[in-house]
Amino acid sequence: MPPTIEGYWNDLRSTKVWRSVFRSGTGTSTLHRALAVQQNVFLHLASVKMRRRSLAFSATWYLGTMSLATFLILTATGILLMLYYHPSVPQAYADMKDLQFVVSAGVFLRNLHRWSAHAMVFLVFAHMFKVFYRGAYRPPREFNWVIGVILLILTLFLSYTGYLLPWDQLAFWAITVGANIMSAVPVMGRKVRFLMLGGNTVNANALLRFYVLHCVILPLVAGLLIAIHFWRIRKDGGLHTGQVETPAGAPNE
Amino acid sequence: MLFGDSARAFGTLGVVLLLLLAIVPARDFFSEWYRYQKGYLRLIRGRDDAITLQRRFEGGIHQTWIPELGVVDRCGSCHVALKEASLRNVGIQPFRPHPPIPHSLDEMGCVMCHRGQGAATTVEEAHRSAKESEDPMVPARYLESSCGQCHMDKPTGIPRLNAGRTLLTRYGCVHCHSIVLPDGVKLAPTDDPPSLQHVADKTTREWIFAWIKNPQAYSGTATMPNFQLKDEDARDISAFLIAQSTMLASSAAPASAAASDAAALQAGASMYGESFCASCHAIQNAAGLLVGGNVGPELTRIGTKAKPDWLRAWIGNPKGYDPETLMPHYRFDDKQLTLIAGFLENKTDSDFMANVKLDQATPRQVAHGKLLVTEMGCAVCHEINGIHRPDNFAPDLTAVGSRPLAKIVFLPEMPRTLAAYVEAKIKEPRSFGSALKMPQFNLATGQVDNLVTALLAQTDRARTLPARLRVAGHASSNYEPAGAAGRLMRDLNCFSCHSINGRGGDMAPDLTWEGSAVQRDWLLKFFKNPNTLRPTLIRRMPKFNVTDQEAGMLTDYILAVYQTPAFDRDSPQPASDASQIEKGRQLFYSKYACQACHIVDPQKDKGYIGPTLTEVGSRLTAAWIFQWLKGPQTLRPGTLEPDQQISDSDATSLTTFLMAQKGHAKTQEAKHK
Repeated sequence: MPPTIEGYWNDLRSTKVWRSVFRSGTGTSTLHRALAVQQNVFLHLASVKMRRRSLAFSATWYLGTMSLATFLILTATGILLMLYYHPSVPQAYADMKDLQFVVSAGVFLRNLHRWSAHAMVFLVFAHMFKVFYRGAYRPPREFNWVIGVILLILTLFLSYTGYLLPWDQLAFWAITVGANIMSAVPVMGRKVRFLMLGGNTVNANALLRFYVLHCVILPLVAGLLIAIHFWRIRKDGGLHTGQVETPAGAPNE
Repeated sequence: MLFGDSARAFGTLGVVLLLLLAIVPARDFFSEWYRYQKGYLRLIRGRDDAITLQRRFEGGIHQTWIPELGVVDRCGSCHVALKEASLRNVGIQPFRPHPPIPHSLDEMGCVMCHRGQGAATTVEEAHRSAKESEDPMVPARYLESSCGQCHMDKPTGIPRLNAGRTLLTRYGCVHCHSIVLPDGVKLAPTDDPPSLQHVADKTTREWIFAWIKNPQAYSGTATMPNFQLKDEDARDISAFLIAQSTMLASSAAPASAAASDAAALQAGASMYGESFCASCHAIQNAAGLLVGGNVGPELTRIGTKAKPDWLRAWIGNPKGYDPETLMPHYRFDDKQLTLIAGFLENKTDSDFMANVKLDQATPRQVAHGKLLVTEMGCAVCHEINGIHRPDNFAPDLTAVGSRPLAKIVFLPEMPRTLAAYVEAKIKEPRSFGSALKMPQFNLATGQVDNLVTALLAQTDRARTLPARLRVAGHASSNYEPAGAAGRLMRDLNCFSCHSINGRGGDMAPDLTWEGSAVQRDWLLKFFKNPNTLRPTLIRRMPKFNVTDQEAGMLTDYILAVYQTPAFDRDSPQPASDASQIEKGRQLFYSKYACQACHIVDPQKDKGYIGPTLTEVGSRLTAAWIFQWLKGPQTLRPGTLEPDQQISDSDATSLTTFLMAQKGHAKTQEAKHK
């Protein structure tokens, strides 16, 4: 038998190294396919089997997937931007200028990050509406809806914290206004504002706090919730089909 | 699906994305600065010095980075030949070399002076960006403003800035606006708006009405701006000003009627001339030209303004009415006083108040006038009874040169630049709103440019510069001479014209070391009858009619106190043998060509720049002449006399020669012999 690409592929998959990485084996049986999904840290979030219909464009408009895609783009470009950015008061704006004028593809990087962020906010909203109008928030998916809402808020907060980082006039005043809106919350409003800004005005402390929130805390929390969100899609019975379903999960005691 | 199966669709999308991504590095590669650098290489190709230029050229982005100054300038990426003096005649931007300046380009960077966005690497962004906090480049005619960020001294070479700063203080801008120079010194006004607490002694309500309606109609050189008052408002303000005025006893001294016959007027005019009133005051001559100085007010229409009693009392003793006045106390006798007051009272202009008809002021008008005076901030400049001087009456202009464009409300069709805004604010302040309080100043275009230059120097950057870059201005001094002589000097207001120990005016010579310079007999004679030392000077020291005793006291004080520690005024004079004098004469006329500026022989010499030296031997001390020749700038910084690096032996010969120039004394001596 002449060597084929598929032959090489199968040989590769049966090497010791490959097997040490992927535990699921090489077969094409239903079991092997199921294991390939189930035993992979990334893929196991998805169902082993799903309806062909739920993969159709019309089922979801791919809004959730696209939200994830923008999140990944934002993570990648964000990490690259972090290489050029100092969250300190005079330097932050100068770094914007460096990105604009001397960093190779700096403008592209920044614009990609910015437009992806806008797109993500739009997509997450659209995703929410789609889920809402299809009634997919109903039991047994009610908890996943709650997680989704938290993710929406996180998305907005990521967007808000990122807005301050260029440290230009627009950023400064937008955050000033936003923080003042926050201080209108009864009883604890001013405390919350003080906590968030690290002071009573937008200054170096606020910049540092927003930087840490934007680059570390919020993405980690969002990543964790995204994982739970995906895992719950599977556990709650895959995509909503519009049919009456029985609640999944453990039987009641 | 559009692309067939999903795998193919994925592949197609991937390729398209890859192509799109290729645009990014391509755009980086074909950037503006890259094209300019190519252009530069084409330009120098084929020149004689192509190899040298080529060797010095380095591709890529060029950056001047001076962390201490916050300078990150990439202008050199396109302006690649800034230091190539050989390209001076090329004339194509961005390849022209920088003209010679007192600073090195690497020491200051570009935006320190030119402003603009140094970090930018595109033409538009670097030169004209007006976004948010970014600075567009400053127009060339205001370029001197940037010098003012460090220079608080007044170096020659930046006349616009220096004139602008002088205008800010002279036209009273700093009465209302607070302006702190970058070195922390607050600009203080140098004009002296009169107190209005006794204004009714001095003038009439009708004159006040006409004056505040349009000060320049009374005197074209008046520095008081036009508040564009309505007739009713001017009526009420004049009513209030007269009502608040209290009477001073000294102004009420009854005057003998001033003679007004032609002979008396002629004598008064002579008095005016002899007393050198014109050194400070100007009067329009028959041709309509102003003749005289600008220290005091113009006197063309003084008779229309001043009440005769007041005028006489004022000339008799100015400090009786205004203790702070710059006007000296002439020791006129009654007859002289009558003559000169008569001459001035005759300086009238019936047109000025021709149409002013004011009824008796009502209490309502007075009250309204007080309200207006308070609102319009008259008390910022003038002392007025019953009204406190308001603080911070107008916006602080300390950082006006860095005012962000986003915070400026421009007029429609106005260039959106800070310079244009400031210019319009000075030229026509009320065009930004008729309710604004800033009055209309009467300034020439050049003066407005100078003011804009001085204001644009007030940048944020200037205040954060390292202290070592700052060149401080001359510290103001409140030096006061002591004792009876000091009292006399204050009474004569010597400091209005002369400067001593850093305090005083610049119209007449600095007298800080006068005691080392002059001989006693000459000074004594000079006080009794001052004559000018410089033939072309119009402004002269007036004759104050001091008594012998006063002149003696002043002379002794000056000789004893105003001595330089650098040398002894009584150090022995070199022996004056004829050969030394002859050698000195030759040095004077040939080697150093002093006759270009000075006169020793009135028949032959035509030097009109420096003082006449025909009598210098009886005026100056030998020690002073010697030291002066050795280093004029060390004795009097800023003097025009050049430092010619004269050797000791040459200086000795010249001193001997000059000390032999005794003028009349010499000729008298000759007669005796």
